Amino acid sequence: MSSRITAIVLALLAIGLTVAQDVAPARDWYHSWQYIALLALAIVVMFGYAWSARGGADGVAGRRFALGIAGAIATAVAGLLSGLIGPDTVTVVGTPGTVTPVPDLGVAAFFAPADPASLARGDAGITLRRRGDGPVDVGTQPTPVGLSIVFTQLRPAAYVVARDSHGNRLTVTQPNNPSFLSPVMLFRQQQQIRDKTFPMDTFATPAEQRIARILYFSAADLAAFRHGLPGAANQAGAVLSIADDAGNARGLTIAASGMPVNVAGLNLTITLGTYPVLVIASAPQPIVMLGGIVIFVLGCAWALVPTKRVQAEPGVLAPQ
Amino acid sequence: MVWRSVVGAVLVMVMLSACYSGGGPKHSIDGGGGPAMLAGAPAVSFDVPSLGGGTDSLAAHRGSIVLMNFWATWCPPCKEEMPALEQLYRANRSRGLVVLGIDQGESAATAGAFARSHGVTFPILVDADQQYASSYVSIGLPTTVIVGRDGHVVRGIDGAQTLAQFQAVVGPLLAAK
Repeated sequence: MSSRITAIVLALLAIGLTVAQDVAPARDWYHSWQYIALLALAIVVMFGYAWSARGGADGVAGRRFALGIAGAIATAVAGLLSGLIGPDTVTVVGTPGTVTPVPDLGVAAFFAPADPASLARGDAGITLRRRGDGPVDVGTQPTPVGLSIVFTQLRPAAYVVARDSHGNRLTVTQPNNPSFLSPVMLFRQQQQIRDKTFPMDTFATPAEQRIARILYFSAADLAAFRHGLPGAANQAGAVLSIADDAGNARGLTIAASGMPVNVAGLNLTITLGTYPVLVIASAPQPIVMLGGIVIFVLGCAWALVPTKRVQAEPGVLAPQ
Repeated sequence: MVWRSVVGAVLVMVMLSACYSGGGPKHSIDGGGGPAMLAGAPAVSFDVPSLGGGTDSLAAHRGSIVLMNFWATWCPPCKEEMPALEQLYRANRSRGLVVLGIDQGESAATAGAFARSHGVTFPILVDADQQYASSYVSIGLPTTVIVGRDGHVVRGIDGAQTLAQFQAVVGPLLAAK
């Protein structure tokens, strides 16, 4: 009896650990030795129970229940293999308005164009297209695509509008990024200041020979040292340090989102917001995982069905 | 007998799982790659102001061979390339070639002054928000994207080209009806 309870507990644990990869995907823990060892241990113990129970060691109900345990083992194996040999989580960073092929998934990821308003709202999306299939809009909720789980994560982003001292627009370039001519900063780098890490990016205005480093400060970060920035109450801001082409420092300022600032001969309007990245995580093979759960449920239900007892007919077996 | 079937089914599931969970992406992907990778892709279009008045776009020229050139006034190779583009346009406009010079990130006044001083007669579009160069994954300026009559990218070229190089790409497209 106690071995059956142990098997039930381990089956539920193994199913829970496996389903977690779908419900809360992209955790490093799923690829850790602790996760693998836990599932492997559960599989071994469950297999041992099922092997003995099939021979009748746990009665008729135990024999039936062993079928359910076999389903749980299948589910656990799917989770184990996904964690053991499944690919690590991949983050796809795409420039707004571009298409990024994801060949291993066999899809193309369409990153929606962005303007200052959509960045501020944070509602830009990503659509996956596979040849011959309809488009799949990806949101923050995990969505199965093929044998992976995909979802979006919103990351800080900034839309830069630069003007010269006469008010003429200036081309914004990103010399250090793949999105060379995008005015949208995706903060691909980070900078540590004291004990905090801040999203960082760089852009240039070649016509004015200026290179800017931009740090993203959350509202809380900004509040820590804000000194009456107009219109900046309770919103994120950007710290801008400007240098010329020779690397000489030309200016330093804090810009509130959407508020123009003049620094180093430039008029800059930085609109802060968020833009999504695509996260692709490995997932247990869905047919095996779900099939195993169904078998587990059916096996448990079958084990609860009362067994028929054969009663001797008095006239036949009674001693003469 | 039933148990052998169950064990067999479990083993099959295990093998299937191993197969399915196997190959997959193992590297981070950062969008980029340059305009050359766009060959064969549908060409995206944006309505932007034209120096000729009103707005213009790639889509407005669907059915023609369109050569889009992304440029800016601060870009020395763009200036060097302009005469070749102008010659290409004059020589082939009657054959159905459309050349669109799409200024990236600058004001109409800036682009207009440049076009006048360089004797440019082909249409100049002013893409102050840099939508075209950003969407076509430009990794520098100038960038040239040639779009076929079917609205798909034929070729994306990074860097300045000579008249002969332009002709070598555009000539066969114009010849093919």
